[in-house]
Amino acid sequence: MRKETVLLIARHFWMNTFKTRAIYPLMTIIFGLLCFSAYTGWTNYEKQSEIRSHYQHEARESWESNPDKHPHRMAHFGTFAFRQKYPLSMFDSGIESFTGNAVFLEAHKQNSVNFSEASLSTGLLRFGEFSMAMILQTVFPLIIFFLGFSAVSADRENGTLKIILTQGARWKEILMGKTLGLMALALLCLAPVGLLMLYFLIAEGGDVEGLWPRFFVLGLVYGMFFMLLSMVTIAVSTSSGKSKNALIKLLAIWLLLVVLLPRSSQALGSYFFPSPSKVEFQSVIEEEVIQKGDSHNPNDPFFKQLKDSVLNAHQVSSVEELPFNYGGFVMAQGEKNSSIIYNNHLNELMQIYKKQNSISELTAVINPYMAVKNLSMALSGTDFDAYVDFQDQAEKYRYELAQKMNELQMEYISPAKVSGSDGKSHVVGKENWSEMPDFHHRFFSFGKAVKNELLSLISLVLWCLAAVWYISYLSKKAKSV
Amino acid sequence: MYRLMFKQFFRSNVVILCLLLVSVLGMTGILIGKQFLDRQERATEQVTIYQQEHIERNVSFHQEEFGLLMYYLKFALINKPEKMAGLSIGQSDVNPAIQHVTIRNLEGQKYDTDLVNPSSLQSGNLDLGFVIIYLLPLLIIVFTFNLLSEEKEVGTWQLVSIQSRSKLKYLLAKLSVRVLVILALFVLLLTAAKLILGIPFDAALFAFFLLGFCYIIFWFTVCFLVVVFQKNSSLNALTMLSLWLVLAILLPAGINSYVSNRYPVPEALATMIEQRDGYHKKWDSDKRETMADFYAHYPQFEEYGMPVDDEEEFTWLWYYAMQQMGDDEAREESDAMREKLELRGQVSRSIAWAIPTMHVQLAFNKLAGTGSTSHLEFLDKTNEFHEKLRLYFYPKIFDNALVLEENWEKFKPEFIVKENVVEWFRLLLPVIICSGLLLFLTFLKLSLSKQKGEW
Repeated sequence: MRKETVLLIARHFWMNTFKTRAIYPLMTIIFGLLCFSAYTGWTNYEKQSEIRSHYQHEARESWESNPDKHPHRMAHFGTFAFRQKYPLSMFDSGIESFTGNAVFLEAHKQNSVNFSEASLSTGLLRFGEFSMAMILQTVFPLIIFFLGFSAVSADRENGTLKIILTQGARWKEILMGKTLGLMALALLCLAPVGLLMLYFLIAEGGDVEGLWPRFFVLGLVYGMFFMLLSMVTIAVSTSSGKSKNALIKLLAIWLLLVVLLPRSSQALGSYFFPSPSKVEFQSVIEEEVIQKGDSHNPNDPFFKQLKDSVLNAHQVSSVEELPFNYGGFVMAQGEKNSSIIYNNHLNELMQIYKKQNSISELTAVINPYMAVKNLSMALSGTDFDAYVDFQDQAEKYRYELAQKMNELQMEYISPAKVSGSDGKSHVVGKENWSEMPDFHHRFFSFGKAVKNELLSLISLVLWCLAAVWYISYLSKKAKSV
Repeated sequence: MYRLMFKQFFRSNVVILCLLLVSVLGMTGILIGKQFLDRQERATEQVTIYQQEHIERNVSFHQEEFGLLMYYLKFALINKPEKMAGLSIGQSDVNPAIQHVTIRNLEGQKYDTDLVNPSSLQSGNLDLGFVIIYLLPLLIIVFTFNLLSEEKEVGTWQLVSIQSRSKLKYLLAKLSVRVLVILALFVLLLTAAKLILGIPFDAALFAFFLLGFCYIIFWFTVCFLVVVFQKNSSLNALTMLSLWLVLAILLPAGINSYVSNRYPVPEALATMIEQRDGYHKKWDSDKRETMADFYAHYPQFEEYGMPVDDEEEFTWLWYYAMQQMGDDEAREESDAMREKLELRGQVSRSIAWAIPTMHVQLAFNKLAGTGSTSHLEFLDKTNEFHEKLRLYFYPKIFDNALVLEENWEKFKPEFIVKENVVEWFRLLLPVIICSGLLLFLTFLKLSLSKQKGEW
């Protein structure tokens, strides 16, 4: 294979493309779409980040401004966790619009993460979400197909192919050349996206954890995806008798892989692995908590026994004589029990969701679009795992907060005050409130994100290799007429 | 002639394959709708059983204090989906259909979400509505992109122009075969859905049918307009698919992102903080002030009197007055949020007038009672339900009535009553106007072509 010939053919393909007039309006539209999605992604990121950090601040200020009071009151006063947006979310919003953004954290009660964009939406969100990633994943394949569907077949139809072959070019060189030409075109379209993102990230991202490796790998993934698409286009164009057939085949591939398969596979997942309703979920937890020991039941055997053993250990006859506040001790125990039970069930639920998602994740093996979609979300910090991670962080913080307040109660509230938390006599100094650190959402690490999507990454690489192999296979089989 | 046209149409394997694929997806859509309805049904049953057990248990624990008991007791209000909801699940997978509330501060409870898998939400429901809105147009495209061009490419068009009296009539006849097949498929799927989901035959179902009918006709007019430009098959396929992409994905997604960017809802988060501070901070403020605010809201309870001084011990009267303040102080933000959501809906609906895909999606949701408006209504009904419970229990708590004298049996989950009036003009007019406009353009193009001798 001669390099010069390959480059010559690539250059020729490239120049031919720019000679057709249709490319200019097409490029303008694409560029307009990209700019619009970049703009909305950017402003949405800015606005939402500002809103959330504003309210995180407000909530914190309100927390710190509390006067001296009984710590259990503070445990119920609680605080909020707001999910921070990862800077790359302006590129790919992933499932962010469908996950809640704010959760109220208080003692004894795991609240739901509320106010997702979807719950505030009018139903239009179901048409899909506008983002740069969406344009790259769904619109660009069509563009590449359009630019390349006739690359080889048109030459065959008008007889140029025979001439090139008789002039000494080999099939391999022709296919390589055309593929390179198309790839270069595709990557040319990717470049402005990269530059736009670079601009935004330098302006906004700062030194957020893992930003640059994520950005780099994202570029790599989309680069591979576009190369794969170019190879598929050339392969279909080579193996189809007529340009028309090539185009129809490519459009069918697009419909199947981009529109039909993703939605049906997710629907199948939900169909086969039904998840419990909220009432069911909560009542099972409630029942288990009651069995384990209900701190709200005055005659609960578990807590009765606990009391007896504590009294025994300290050699006293009533809780008022204990060296610590017994009410705080009971609540700490109750919190521990119920949290373990709740988290077990939550994990189970998350496992069911993961199973539901697994079918569509597995289709990444047969559907490179899915592989790219998964990778893109994971790298942008907007996938399911990143969300679960936020949920876990919030719950962990909630638990720490509740236990810290219980500790304060055990230590500083008079043992004589067994129940009740009102009034201004049994209180703890307000300096304790600001000592409890604020909730801080840490982003999911880059390494874990890549690890979770290893299957997608491998499948994408394999697809590229298979496409290279198929093109070289075709070059031995292809016919010029 | 007509029979031959049908025969010719069904001879293609692609046609059979596509019809089969869409039918299978349509049936899947119906089953998914069925699963959705069953799930809601089950949740309703569970909440009924749960509420009874929950009340019984708590009543047995907390017989001495009515106020303490009411701290725990939860009551369910159910927005039972119409059978139609199985056709177009809409927003009802995001928005909970059951509100499960205590008589405490409502603003802290009523926005609680259901348990849902965000990934499933993202990929969207594959319900019959989706099949109609997204897939039927694709089928129409597959059936019509080579309506004329194929004849030209194979060379039969010459024959047709010589032999038939009117080329247009021939083309329309060919088109009508496809229209009939698609309509038959649509009617078949809808009938299957009616039977499987058990939808009653009422105005809403008929409206759903008519709207789907108009929508199908709309797509045929789109495709026919492309066809009369007499380009080759490839270009037709590409043009039609691009139109589909723009109408079914890009425009709605773009408009959604415009609306959500233009009207962000920070009020949601503000409400959340306000309701907490409104209630919790009352533990430290002057009791008499709180009571005064409470009596200003409910003058009918003034007879229960003021606490003598701030040091007076804990009373449930004071406790629920504090809870009330959570709602009262978040009222402004909460109303602002509601207005914002209403505004979002209005803006989307008015833009949707010009874009049939969006209009049909929103209209399907409205007919099925699964749109955002019906959820806002449900939230309003939740307010009423909660208020009713409060006003019923407040005097009992304040008097510390005997817990066991209350007939707890009667507290069963309640269902909201919905009235669904079909606004025929608003429903059908946008799609009819769009189709009419396209038809007009088609005939304009045809007469232009005739003048130039290209037809």
